[in-house]
Amino acid sequence: MSVFTLSQPEREALLHKELSELTQHHRANSPEYDRILAASGFTSAATVAELPWLPVRLFKNLQLKSIPDDEVFKVLTSSGTTGEVSRIYLDKAAAAAQTRQLGATLQQVLGPRRLPMILVDSKGLLKDRRSFSARGAGVLGMATFGRDHAWALDPDGKPDLDALRSFLDKHGSEPFLIFGFTFLVWLHLYEVAREHGLDLSNGILIHSGGWKKLVDQSVSPEEFRRRFREHTGLTHMHNYYGMVEQIGTVFLEGPSGGSLYCPDFADVIIRNPRTWQEQPVGEPGLIEVVSTLPTSYPGHVLLTEDLGVLDGIDDGDWPGKRFSVLGRLPRAEARGCSDTYREAA
Amino acid sequence: MSMHYRFGEPGFSDDRLAVGDARVLDFLSRFARKLLAPAVARRHPELGSLGYFLRPAELKRTADRMRRDDNTYVFPRGNVFHVPPANVDTIFVYSWALSALAGNHNVVRISTRSAGAADTVLETLNATLPDADPVIARTQKMITYGRDDKLTAEYSAWCDLRVIWGGDSAVEAIRRHPLRPSARDLTFPDRTSWAALSVPGWRAADASSRRNAVAGFSNDAYWFDQAACSSPRTVFLVGGESAQATAVQEEFLTLLAEVVAQRGWVVDAAMAVEKRVNAYGLAAAGAVSAVAFPDNSITSLALSGPGEAPRRWIGAGAFPFAHVGSLTELVPAMNRQDQTFSHFGFAPADLRAFAEALGGRGVDRIVPFGSALTFSAIWDGYDLPHEFTRLTTLET
Repeated sequence: MSVFTLSQPEREALLHKELSELTQHHRANSPEYDRILAASGFTSAATVAELPWLPVRLFKNLQLKSIPDDEVFKVLTSSGTTGEVSRIYLDKAAAAAQTRQLGATLQQVLGPRRLPMILVDSKGLLKDRRSFSARGAGVLGMATFGRDHAWALDPDGKPDLDALRSFLDKHGSEPFLIFGFTFLVWLHLYEVAREHGLDLSNGILIHSGGWKKLVDQSVSPEEFRRRFREHTGLTHMHNYYGMVEQIGTVFLEGPSGGSLYCPDFADVIIRNPRTWQEQPVGEPGLIEVVSTLPTSYPGHVLLTEDLGVLDGIDDGDWPGKRFSVLGRLPRAEARGCSDTYREAA
Repeated sequence: MSMHYRFGEPGFSDDRLAVGDARVLDFLSRFARKLLAPAVARRHPELGSLGYFLRPAELKRTADRMRRDDNTYVFPRGNVFHVPPANVDTIFVYSWALSALAGNHNVVRISTRSAGAADTVLETLNATLPDADPVIARTQKMITYGRDDKLTAEYSAWCDLRVIWGGDSAVEAIRRHPLRPSARDLTFPDRTSWAALSVPGWRAADASSRRNAVAGFSNDAYWFDQAACSSPRTVFLVGGESAQATAVQEEFLTLLAEVVAQRGWVVDAAMAVEKRVNAYGLAAAGAVSAVAFPDNSITSLALSGPGEAPRRWIGAGAFPFAHVGSLTELVPAMNRQDQTFSHFGFAPADLRAFAEALGGRGVDRIVPFGSALTFSAIWDGYDLPHEFTRLTTLET
């Protein structure tokens, strides 16, 4: 059953009710969260946009959870660029729900059956404990949605042409799944496929990880799709946006490309970075993500440090809001007396 | 990365300068005059303050204070190596200028990240050089180099006094390099600064005094993103009834918002998010009972008590408030980390009683609103001209 069904008014009504209940649930079960909301003077929200948002970075500084210690089933971590780590606490129910809902979201473009799958990464990645938490977990999590996996990169991180060829010989004539981080897909799959004339026309590419590195190389999302289409035959491509702090919730690019869409249990609000009010379609701002999945930690209403823009509402491939991610908000840098060390020594 | 000279000539010289050397005085006076040029002061108001600090009359006074007439001769300490902070653009000039005035050979390590006012300072120093005695370029050097322990070690072994700004971690990192047995460090570790507002004093003040107080406070707080050692962070509301303190706080914040808007100071979204993260962190820990974000430029927090006042930086334009009955009630909350205590609306006797009650447990400077960032020859509890000189006593 599709999770891309609710029009914006229907979604708002549902999310307003469920997220308001979740807010009360987290207040009752996380003293830290309750103190934050009490200090902010929050009582209730008339709309989804009025719900109190937490900056996503708070999960790097604080231990926020709404379950007792003995019900912690899984602790997810994300490594940030500055070395700080988010810690996300899941109980059994939340862990099951995130897997189930991620599956339901991807089914929208993959269909109900598990497909043969190319992972555009290196198996060696899973052995490296340092990079494991972020990239490895993403790859492993996604691997469960496919079967007969082939790794596109050898243990040294170089393209494994033989592995790709033998996968395509076996599975290339029926639908198959390709997963990887956008930059790696571009660098290691596109280049190799073009050079060696690999036929990816039955592939469905799911990729994430931001466009920044590609934009630095002057490859826009449109260019990415056009070149893949022209040079490899690949036409089904879906970028997605998600974060460990709202694990299980992904915003998926629609079939016509460009915009990201929200599953029925989630939504985005673009906020003006000065007034913090909701931005209309076309006006860029900071992305707030809301989701009913975080039941074990108060991560149901989060302000990201990503900039984005609404492309439209109830006017695209699927119902609801559609949006684009524009980049990251630069990290605030303090001036001050205590800063010689970073380069002193 | 290799080293390069931003000011002065490579190599070490055996020139001798005297305490209050006329050639140094002349150079600093010319330099100050250039800094006070309207175009410079308009672009970088903090350079105007620097120029004012270096005006000839003030330099002469400082030099005179270095000399003694009790059969004790005052000489330069010798070689001084300065490691200033990267982002407080002007502090290196104060410490260098005083040391130069004391007749020392100086090497100042300028950060690779320096920009803005620091660049203007260097341009101005170099523009002053052609009219100066050549001894200046031979004895006064400003250099830039990246992470290079070898150079830091070399200058550490060269100097008689090493001046380390930049907080605890900088002090620890630089201290790994040994000094000569006779040499020592002058360190400027992490500091915290406070503001105190007398509730009765505020209520007794007329509208223009209140506005002036807020204007002074806003300079103190916003010039260095509230991150300089002397930038006030927590504001203590002192005396009066609780309801009066609340009313004073509200009026203070309203006026502050007006001044900040008038000056056109903006706090960007990244900083606004940073402040939320820190404010929510304090709320989650129970240290604050109320947070408000009326505008990106101002965040106000109600502390659960004066002992909860944070000592770490929480963002540009973030003001925790706490209400206490009297200044002396604050004494137990003060410690060695505390540097500047800026005040408004108190009777001099109250401030004296406060200073005495502190008894050296903390707080180096007690200054009115608007003067928190004003550098002085006595800084962080050190009498700098004294630190930059050595004494020879004579008994006949």
